[in-house]
Amino acid sequence: MDIIVAENIRKKFKLKNGQKVKNNGVVSDEVEALSGFNLKIRKGEFLVLVGPSGSGKSVFLDLVSGLSAPTGGVIYLDGKPVQAPSAKTGYVFQQYALFPWRTALSNVECGLEAKGVPKDERVRIARELLSLFGLSDFEDRFPYQLSGGMQQRVSIARALATKPEVLLMDEPFAALDAQTREILQNELIRIWEGTDTTVIFVTHSIDEAVFLADRVAVVTARPGRIKELIEIDLPRPRTGEIRSSTEFARNRHKVWLALKSEVSKAEQYTKLATGFAG
Amino acid sequence: MFQSRGGKDKSMNISNQIKGWFASLTIPFVLLVLWQVIVSLGYVPAIILPSPEKVFSTFMTNITQNDLLRHVAASLERVILGFIIGALGGFSLGLLMGLSRTAEKIFGPTFHVIRQVPVIGWIPLIVMMFQIAEIPQIIVISLAAFFPMTLNTLAGVRNVRKEYLELAAVNGFKGLKLIRRVIVPAALPSIVTGTTLSLGMSWAVMMAAEFFIDTSYGIGTRIQAGRSSFNMALVLVGIFTVGLIGYGLTITIEALGRAVNNGRDVHKEI
Repeated sequence: MDIIVAENIRKKFKLKNGQKVKNNGVVSDEVEALSGFNLKIRKGEFLVLVGPSGSGKSVFLDLVSGLSAPTGGVIYLDGKPVQAPSAKTGYVFQQYALFPWRTALSNVECGLEAKGVPKDERVRIARELLSLFGLSDFEDRFPYQLSGGMQQRVSIARALATKPEVLLMDEPFAALDAQTREILQNELIRIWEGTDTTVIFVTHSIDEAVFLADRVAVVTARPGRIKELIEIDLPRPRTGEIRSSTEFARNRHKVWLALKSEVSKAEQYTKLATGFAG
Repeated sequence: MFQSRGGKDKSMNISNQIKGWFASLTIPFVLLVLWQVIVSLGYVPAIILPSPEKVFSTFMTNITQNDLLRHVAASLERVILGFIIGALGGFSLGLLMGLSRTAEKIFGPTFHVIRQVPVIGWIPLIVMMFQIAEIPQIIVISLAAFFPMTLNTLAGVRNVRKEYLELAAVNGFKGLKLIRRVIVPAALPSIVTGTTLSLGMSWAVMMAAEFFIDTSYGIGTRIQAGRSSFNMALVLVGIFTVGLIGYGLTITIEALGRAVNNGRDVHKEI
C-alpha cells in the first residue's frame, strides 16, 4: 500500500530582483527545482533520496511536510492532498532543529504541547523517548549544552513524540563527525525497526543510504525527478557489521552507478550558473 | 558554556567578584580625591563647588530631616508606574507591528514621526491638557519608555529566524500558541534589551519632567529647589542620588532579564 503518492510534481522558485540563471541556454529569473517528479512510497518503508546538490531533494521534503506548496502536481498523503503541516508528518532538520530556549525534555514535548496533550502525559512520553536515545540524564540541558550528536538525537525524539505516520529527515547527520554519524545511523535503524513509521530520508552519503534504506531513490540533477529506484536487498535487522559485507559493497555500487552521471551533470551546471546554490 | 559547579569554582567566583568591586571603585575614588584637591586649593569658590564633606553632611541632614527618602519614593513611584504603562504599550505595539505587515503600514509612519520629537518636547502640551498634577508626569515618563520598547520588540519579532518558524510549523504551533511559545521566546533577547533601555529612559526623563512640571515631592524637584536657593550641596546630593538609584534600577532589570532568559546563552547558535 502506498502512503505517499507524488504525481507529476513541479516546483519553481523565483530569484531575487535582478538575479538571473541560465537554463539550457535560456536566461530566466526562475529556478526549476523539481519537474516531472513522480514517486510512490510504501507504507512502513525506509526510503532514502540521494542526488546531486541542488537536485531538489529537500524541496520535496518541504512539499510532503506541507511547509511549501508545489507549483504543479499533487502530493497525496493517505489519499488526501497535502496542504499544510499536519501531525501526520514529523520533520527532522539538519540545523536549527531545536528551540534554543527549551531544555531537551521540553523540546521533545513541543509537538505534543501544540496538540494540547496534558503536561503529565507529555512529560511521560518525552522521557520515554529520551531514554530510548540514552539521554535520560540530559533532559534538563539546553541545546547549546549538548553535543551535535545529542542535539540530533533529541531532534529525532521530538519528531517521533507525536507518533507521525511519516518521518521526514533532511540530512539529519550531515553536520556530525563520521563516528557519531555511524552511531546515530545504528540507533536510528534499531529504533525504526521497532516501529511501523514510514521514513523519507535525504542524504548525500551513499553509504548512509545503503545502510538505512529499503529502497534508494536516485534523483537527477536539477530540475530533479526520480531517475531510478533501487531495492536494497540487505537483510533486517541490520547492525553495524553489515557495512563491511560484500553484499553491502554490491548495493553501494548499484547506487553509485545510477548517481555518477547525475553528479557530473550537476557539476557542469554549477559552473554555468554560479550564484545559486539550491 | 557549561555553568560551573562545585565548591572550588564558587570560591574562585567570590574572590573574582571582590576584585571586580575594587576595580569598579577605582574611578570614583580618584574623582573624589581630585574633587577634594580642587576644593582645598580653592580653585573653585565653595558656593559653586562645595567640599565632599559638605555634600555628605547635606546628604545626611536631608535623609534625617528633609524627607529625602520621601522625595526618592515619589520619583520611583512615578518612574515605575510610567515605565510599566509605557513598556506594556510598547511591547503590544511592537508585537502587533512585528506580526502583521498591515499593522505596520497603519501604525508605522505615525509612530516614527512622533518618535522624532524628544519626549521633553511634549511636556508643554501635556501639562496644558492635564493641568498640574501627577498625571502629566506619568504620561511623559511612559512616553519615554514606550519608544525603545516598541522598536526593540518590533526588531526582535521581525528577526525571528525563519528556521524556528518552520520548526514551529512542523510541530503544529499556530495562532496564540505560536506567538506565546515560539515568537515571543525567540524575540526575548531583544525584548529584554528594550525593557532595559525603557527603564533607563524613564528614569532619565523623570528628572526633566520634574524640572518642568511642579510637584511637591520628587528627586528632580529637590534638585530644582537646591538650584533656586543656590544650595549647590543639595544639587549635588540630588545628582548622586539620581545616578546611584538609576544604576541600581539598571542592575536589577538586567538581573531580571537574565533570569527570564532562563540562564541560556541566547547568542549561541545551535
